[in-house]
Amino acid sequence: MFEWSEQHRQIRAMLRRFVETEVVPHREALEFGDLPPYGILRKLLQTFGVDEMAKAQFAADIEREKSGAPPKEKKVRTEFSQGAADAAAMRILPVVEISRVSPGMITAMGVSVGLTAGAIMKKGTIRQKEEFVPALLTLEKVGAWAITEPGSGSDAFGSMRASARRDGDDYILNGNKTFITNGPHADTIVFICKLDEGNAPEHRKVLTFILDGDTPGLEKSKPLRKMGLHASPTGELFLTDVRVPKYRLLGETETAPSREGAKETFANERTAVAAMALGIVERCLELCVDYAKTRVQFGKPIGDFQLIQLKLAKMEVARMNIQNLVLRQVELAGWGKSMDLAEASACKLYCAQSAMEVCLEAVQLFGGNGYMSEYQVEQLCRDAKVMQIYGGTDEIQISQIARALLAR
Amino acid sequence: MKILVPLKRVADPDNANKVKIPASGATIETTGLEWKPNPFDEYALEAALRLTEDGKAPKVRAGEVVVVTFGPKETETTLRAALATGADRAIRVDAADDKLDGHLVARALKALVEREKPDLVLMGKQAVDGDSNQVGQILAEQLDYPMATFAATMKEEAGGLLVGREVDGGVITLRVKFPAVVTVDLRIVAPTSVYSMKTAPAFKYNDGVRFAALPAIMAAKKKPLAEVKLADLAADQGLRVTYHGFQAPPARKAGIKVKDVTDLVNRLKNEAKAL
Repeated sequence: MFEWSEQHRQIRAMLRRFVETEVVPHREALEFGDLPPYGILRKLLQTFGVDEMAKAQFAADIEREKSGAPPKEKKVRTEFSQGAADAAAMRILPVVEISRVSPGMITAMGVSVGLTAGAIMKKGTIRQKEEFVPALLTLEKVGAWAITEPGSGSDAFGSMRASARRDGDDYILNGNKTFITNGPHADTIVFICKLDEGNAPEHRKVLTFILDGDTPGLEKSKPLRKMGLHASPTGELFLTDVRVPKYRLLGETETAPSREGAKETFANERTAVAAMALGIVERCLELCVDYAKTRVQFGKPIGDFQLIQLKLAKMEVARMNIQNLVLRQVELAGWGKSMDLAEASACKLYCAQSAMEVCLEAVQLFGGNGYMSEYQVEQLCRDAKVMQIYGGTDEIQISQIARALLAR
Repeated sequence: MKILVPLKRVADPDNANKVKIPASGATIETTGLEWKPNPFDEYALEAALRLTEDGKAPKVRAGEVVVVTFGPKETETTLRAALATGADRAIRVDAADDKLDGHLVARALKALVEREKPDLVLMGKQAVDGDSNQVGQILAEQLDYPMATFAATMKEEAGGLLVGREVDGGVITLRVKFPAVVTVDLRIVAPTSVYSMKTAPAFKYNDGVRFAALPAIMAAKKKPLAEVKLADLAADQGLRVTYHGFQAPPARKAGIKVKDVTDLVNRLKNEAKAL
């Protein structure tokens, strides 16, 4: 695929109208007023029938699982399926369009609908899926996925301190989690920790629990102040002797492999960054072209100056490259394929870095105005930076690309 | 209830590629233009959908909405957008944009109405490109149907509609019997403007035109879209309107700063002759 189809452009136009009427008027409140994004996101899902689609898909998946049929495997197709490509485009386009105005909203939604519900869908029992997943998919409940700790970031499992101890049929959970997206408002928390059997931390088994936001002993911080991504509330979670019954253990067994499937989750998360980057870069470029045509200095529009032209040209090159990577994902989906971890890492590395460069140049092009909050490039610039950090830092992406190359 | 909604695409005024007029002034340059549905036609479609449903969730449709447009193949984009929004069926009358005028469109629509036999033809009061505001009126005259124009409200009753039209100092209410032609104004998409007989009187719609759900946009590809030749609807394709030339409005001159109030009043009086 080398361009969006007529239907894709229609979807984009619809989404753009929604963003103009429902998101843009709240930008200030989202950005500086701690307005949680969930109300707008719920409206988005309802308006476009995404909640109904997700519920129907969930019902079908559960039916299948109950009937004892093996989970649907992704099959590489011999013929291109426009339907499969369109389904991918339907997931990607909202990310692009909302990221033009508020990338943080995408993070908040992605963590709840993608990461949290996804983790339960992947490893939960039927009972756990039915109890927790539908409300997360429609954002009726806000989900958080808690892995990062003050002392464990890129080395998430190695230096993890959060622990679970057996106590009769229950577990006692302890630990602090930080940088938890949706943490301050979370209703359902997927909590990752290590089983303490008196053994050394590096030999401990990783377990995952599903917690309610109001579980006794669980404390949620207020939103942390951060550089950007203000529309995505981020917080800390403190667990002190939280007692949970066994059915809160994801998969309801200690032997469920906890690290498996992480690769696919990471790959999904990483490819989504390309769509966010596309929205950010498209918007920056539009704002910059408009400004270059209307801002007059030394008696002419600044777009007449070659140094400004260079910035615009480089932004356009970045936009084309990122769009091609996004369209490649749509094309791959049509063939029943997706990017593997190394390719997804390369894709994320490039898109995050290019978006950051474009944003910095956009601020520069706007000069003093670019440094002011009133002009949107300032916000996009602060928001873009996170893409080089979360979902695996640039450095982690580089190491994973290299690992795949050197293993050839 | 079966409703026919004629749609027209117009150049998108918000798009960067503005309408251009070549030096000859003989025509309007349409290459490179981005198109969108005429807003008043979108309002007519929204009103038609409201008239054929009950407002409940999930809604139950009662009736059929057929959309029609005149133009070349690429105008099917406009029709598919309408199908995605909720129309049931679409018809494209194959015609060249510059070989049409309001009277010919009305004549062809008459033939189509006789074929389709809708209870109601619901259309925008005018297209925002030519602003002619005549197709609905000519069509009603040709069909000899009851007509209500510039509808701001519509309420279905047995065998017809109560149509509210805003006029200076109040609202005129017209009672039209089906089959009828109604043209709509922008207030028709306000939350309480349109009620079918199945919609609860307390029900309120979202303000404005609805969004198409994402799966509906994809599913619209499978809804029926028929092509009809203009010649099949209108034997006489003669035009009653001829254009003798086009010219862009003069560019606006820069404003001036006045020294003080006396200067302002003086200029308003002597230069602008506004006082």
